[in-house]
Amino acid sequence: MVKNGLGMLLLALAAGSKLSWAGPQPPPLPAEHLTVATVGPKSPHWIYVVDYAYVNEIDSRVWLFDGDTYRRIGQIDTGFFPAVNLSPDGKTTAVATTYWSRGGHGTRTDVVELNDNNTLSKTGEIVIPPKHAQTLAMMFTLTYSADGKFVYVPYLTPAASFGVLDPAKKRVLNEIDTAGCTLTFPWGPNRVSSICESGRLLTVTLDSQGKETSRTTSDAFFNVDEDPVFAQAVPLPDGYAFVSFLGQVHEIDFRQPKPGIRTPWSLVSPAEKGAWRPGGVQIGALHRARNKLYVPMHKGGDGSHKEGGSEIWVFDLKSHQREARWPIDSYKAGTAISVQVSQDAAPLLFIATETSHLLILEALTGKLKHDEKNLGQTPQLLLNP
Amino acid sequence: MKTLDRLFENGARSLAKRTSRRSLLACLGQVLTGAALMPLLPIDRTARAQEPVHPTPAEQKCDYWKYCAIDGFLCACCGGSSTACPPGTQPSPITWIGTCHNPADGRDYIVSYNDCCGKVSCGDCFCDRNERETPMYRLSRNNDVNWCMANADSNYHCSVSVILGVAEK
Amino acid sequence: MMRAATVAATLVAVGAQAANPAQDYVLNCMGCHGAAAQGIPGKVPPLANALSRFMRTPEGRNYVLRVPGAANSSLSDEQLAGVLNWLAVTFDSSATANQLAPFTGREVAALRRQPLLSVLATRGTVVHNLATTGPSPPSQY
Repeated sequence: MVKNGLGMLLLALAAGSKLSWAGPQPPPLPAEHLTVATVGPKSPHWIYVVDYAYVNEIDSRVWLFDGDTYRRIGQIDTGFFPAVNLSPDGKTTAVATTYWSRGGHGTRTDVVELNDNNTLSKTGEIVIPPKHAQTLAMMFTLTYSADGKFVYVPYLTPAASFGVLDPAKKRVLNEIDTAGCTLTFPWGPNRVSSICESGRLLTVTLDSQGKETSRTTSDAFFNVDEDPVFAQAVPLPDGYAFVSFLGQVHEIDFRQPKPGIRTPWSLVSPAEKGAWRPGGVQIGALHRARNKLYVPMHKGGDGSHKEGGSEIWVFDLKSHQREARWPIDSYKAGTAISVQVSQDAAPLLFIATETSHLLILEALTGKLKHDEKNLGQTPQLLLNP
Repeated sequence: MKTLDRLFENGARSLAKRTSRRSLLACLGQVLTGAALMPLLPIDRTARAQEPVHPTPAEQKCDYWKYCAIDGFLCACCGGSSTACPPGTQPSPITWIGTCHNPADGRDYIVSYNDCCGKVSCGDCFCDRNERETPMYRLSRNNDVNWCMANADSNYHCSVSVILGVAEK
Repeated sequence: MMRAATVAATLVAVGAQAANPAQDYVLNCMGCHGAAAQGIPGKVPPLANALSRFMRTPEGRNYVLRVPGAANSSLSDEQLAGVLNWLAVTFDSSATANQLAPFTGREVAALRRQPLLSVLATRGTVVHNLATTGPSPPSQY
């Protein structure tokens, strides 16, 4: 047994020691016990950081990081170009990913892996057709229905569709063709929308078996040639906000089967438009109770939509007023490519940068609390329950 | 006068002298495609020419004009060039398209960004530029997806940039 | 169905204008459908030796205008009509291209926004019906 073995070794070492001490020698260290760490009590300041590992893409992973102790709690392996999300109850991290039989090549198998967030262990998998949409980090490449009964996985072959999965029974129920529209923006127990090049949303309604009962197409709310919207929408309590390259916020009400398109409002003043732009990977985060929207903003022109922000701008979602601008250049940690906020009363703002830092700010004041250098190789997406 | 119209006009006139009207109409399509607009991308990958490459220093840098919407590792740093996949990799048959300005001659060129597939990430010369790039819902101009997705061996190794022709306004 | 204007004649008429269907195809469609409009077996349908055959019947034209690449493309109705007409003339070896009625922007506008529930199932039915009246596109790819 490990304990006795180590103990015997230490005693032998102590007996054979040739060391001489000036004073009385301290007593020998006791034998240690090897254990496996637990994740510990849950905290709203935990953050799941999806590391795409660009230089070694088959080796991506999720880091669970504690925003108070600044400690890595543990890791979930996620394969190649993963789609990652948390279940609505926060208990599961679901990952749609690709593995090849010989590491980087061979027979391709796509799976949805289910990981227990209490133990960071994989507890099950659902094999899906080898066509999960392999794309850069998004919150909408794997999603759950609001009640957790369905998992939706966008497929891309390059034809667009999505799989409807039963995570409890670990089965693929159905595949829904989405007419070239992409990703999944779920609502309620059985509605899923996809976003189209034509500027519209396609909404599909499912029955309890995951079969389609109807579909509808919304009016167009953006023009892809004039001012495209980021597909990385910001979840709202009543729908989703799609932020455009020029800083327009298109809030879409999802509560009715036909999405309600609200009048867009602007993140930028007329003078700032075109000069200051939102950009990065995860373009906005909302603190729901306080209605505070955090957006990474940079100075740039056409083609700069993936550049990270040199500032975080804070808006009141109800009044649309900008309440704060927090420059982050002075931290010398890179620019903000992804933001996420904790939902508690003393919230933290998490920022991933393109140089692999994780910055942690007080979300109410903008004060820097911590700079975690090198949290993984290329942290891209920040998730919390 | 635009390049395409010039092709069309010259072709139509010369064809009209030699052929009947019916043949003229049927031949219009070939005139429009024309070798000058876009060399056909070979369909059969195994028949693709294999030859040594000599990438220039310019095409091993991210600011090279053809890379205006590239995303990934430059094949020119990985054993290939801007128009050649490294040995042992396979070009993707599906691609995203960019329109890049060449400062040397003042023209905008349409380029095809193929991925080279079947090996793990090259890891060198990472470059992410996004002129006229659009999100995934307009797939033809999107550089976020793995364009190796339709290959038999779909791992992503690096990306190239191949000129298709001059862009018209 | 046989109007005075044919696809090819319409292409002649618009050739000198600003429309650039070849470039529209390259920028919006060619990345997946290929430089020879050949598609990819099992993944991307071919347009060569296929599209013009769908254009022979109202049912086939209806299908073509509602497939994902057409229905949700950011091309305008006129641009989409132009690209389809150009493809029909350019990539079909049969002579039928010369006798087809061209798509117009109005025809495109009337049909393209109605989504198809099942693209492959509809394709199968349409192709089956087309085969009874002449060369048909492949039912599968």
